[in-house]
Amino acid sequence: MVVVRLDRVTKIFKGGVVGVKDISLTIKHGEFMALLGPSGSGKSTTLYLIAGIYKPTSGRIYFDDRDVTNLPPKDRNVGLVFQNWALYPHMKVYENIAFPLRLKKLPEEEIKRRVLDVARMLQIDKLLDRYPWQLSGGQQQRVAIARALVKEPDVLLLDEPLSNLDAILRISVRAELKRLQKKLGITTIYVTHDQAEALAMADRIALINEGRIVQVGTPEEVYNRPATVFVGGFLGNPPMNFLEAEVEDLDKEIFLVIGKYRIRAPERYWSIIRRLKTKRVIIGFRPEDTSIKPESLDTICLPGRVYGIEPLGRENIVVIEIGGELVKIISGRRISLTLDQMVWICPVMEKIILFDPATGKALDRLVVEEKIRAI
Amino acid sequence: MVGIKLNKIFFHRLFNNLVEFFRSDASRFLFPALFLVLVFYIIPVIISVYLSFTPLKNWNIDRYAGEIIGFENYYKFFYMLTHDPSVKAVFLTTIVFVALTLTVNVLGGLGLAIATYFMSEKAAGGTQLIWLLPRMTPIAVYSMIWYYFFHPSSIGTLNSILLHLGLIDKPIDFGQGIIPWGAWAIIVFVNGLVGVSYGMIVFTSAISNIPKELVIAARVDGASNWEITRRILIPLLKWHIIYVTTWQLLSLITTYDHLFLLVKWGLVNRDYGTTWSLYIYNTAFQLGETDQGLAAAAGVILVLVSSGLGLLTLKLMGFEKMIKPPRGDI
Repeated sequence: MVVVRLDRVTKIFKGGVVGVKDISLTIKHGEFMALLGPSGSGKSTTLYLIAGIYKPTSGRIYFDDRDVTNLPPKDRNVGLVFQNWALYPHMKVYENIAFPLRLKKLPEEEIKRRVLDVARMLQIDKLLDRYPWQLSGGQQQRVAIARALVKEPDVLLLDEPLSNLDAILRISVRAELKRLQKKLGITTIYVTHDQAEALAMADRIALINEGRIVQVGTPEEVYNRPATVFVGGFLGNPPMNFLEAEVEDLDKEIFLVIGKYRIRAPERYWSIIRRLKTKRVIIGFRPEDTSIKPESLDTICLPGRVYGIEPLGRENIVVIEIGGELVKIISGRRISLTLDQMVWICPVMEKIILFDPATGKALDRLVVEEKIRAI
Repeated sequence: MVGIKLNKIFFHRLFNNLVEFFRSDASRFLFPALFLVLVFYIIPVIISVYLSFTPLKNWNIDRYAGEIIGFENYYKFFYMLTHDPSVKAVFLTTIVFVALTLTVNVLGGLGLAIATYFMSEKAAGGTQLIWLLPRMTPIAVYSMIWYYFFHPSSIGTLNSILLHLGLIDKPIDFGQGIIPWGAWAIIVFVNGLVGVSYGMIVFTSAISNIPKELVIAARVDGASNWEITRRILIPLLKWHIIYVTTWQLLSLITTYDHLFLLVKWGLVNRDYGTTWSLYIYNTAFQLGETDQGLAAAAGVILVLVSSGLGLLTLKLMGFEKMIKPPRGDI
């Protein structure tokens, strides 16, 4: 169990395709870190770099203080689980799990003991005599995890291990896997494109987009304080709503103008807007942090037209059109709205995040960056 | 009486079934294929089997083709096989040639496919192209290359190299002078080189269908190239190995094009450079007095032997397991 540290790691593939660019990331001892991003963002590349399957073009990778950048995969003692589980089809479950130990040429009784231990832990000890194709998806996935764990790795690397499971199974395995990880206390890196999975399981999430790390933080941090429009728009279902607005500074107060309407800017942003001399912003607000009212004189509310209603049982998603843009709002279980009805939507003032349209970054981040540059 | 009655019923049924078949749409659909099979396979087989029971010589069809002499050609062939040193040599050459060339073809193809799998893309492509060249070269040109390579005089490439290196004093006649292994070595070498590409292509495409995660997983667990080959690639290539072995076995038993030229040009000894199928060809078409009846008998026996061997290989290697009803999820 080790600390994994990536120091300015870049991987450029043949033909100049950039896999990841200048990634620095530390995964703490025993931590469950999720690498989250859309497909092609470089999250699997990062995982393969840590596993040693790819060699970085530049930068270093450390396990604790040990520089493993140029070590082959076998000398890193990592366990790897693939999306398709990569079970050997010609070997029975027992042989599949025993395979890493056979390569280490361990004595037969030692192999047997360890295979049985790990199989019991994952409750697959009754399946040892079967071939992979005789197992269900969930069982195959357990076998793959057993094979990764049997060699007692320092780091467990999981490459979308749940995405081949059906939706209901995925949610139950999610909890199990998290529990197992905590019980073993093994440093785990988990690649996924499913934001709900990352939020539900990880201690911390690293959001990756276009080969770069966009934000690292606890699920609570990245969800509530997204560093960029990308993070806000990637997390949550439905994700954050965005509206572009112009800044109107009336000295006493600051307003944000959206088409014909305007709302009062949250007070905590006033000094930031003035400091950065921002002219335009993107207003971000979460569907669940917004209420719908039939009438309102509140300066934070905007008028809109009900565009559609999606009942989800536990809640309703109301789609509202504001000046040609669609936003989604989660409302309670019971609603009395009709299509094309005029309503007011009122985001919770404290939960509003303002972004810079040019860079997509949150304004408070820009201030911090500016301060760092000033030093 | 009972037999005749049964036969009558049988033929009656057969006739009725045939009429029904020809009236159905299936017959129209299958007609082109059936026509080709009939003209190019069934009729020649019937003619060959028939000829093997006639004393046909020198293509004198008017005189001999109507005469039936029973199994005389077969007795003659077996007598020659046990008494004529030339036919004995042909028989022995066939066994050695097929066994060695088959080994070279299958193992060579497998080795190349696996070696190129672990190479960089460019090197792999180049290697495969080189090994495909013999297959792409016309038979006469290709045989000519090796004719000059093994030529028994000092103009022969191999002799010239050995002479220059000072390893020998005068040129060696590999194909005629070193009997039988010199002749065998040449024919196995030349045919082996042609056949390797077939296995290579089949195995290469089979390997590329193995999910790369299987290999990566083994690599992460510490497997070397050799362990990956032995424990993962070869077990997963089992069916392809069976297929290539059977296919190559059957085609080697019946091949004679390269051998024909090498023997005709005198590069290799006639007895120890001739296999069974070339012997049949020579007996029917080539040397002085030709004996089509004997050739047909030898041909029929060859077909029976090769069918038997083919079935035996499939049986030994468990082919019927492969053609079990498929499971959608494998």
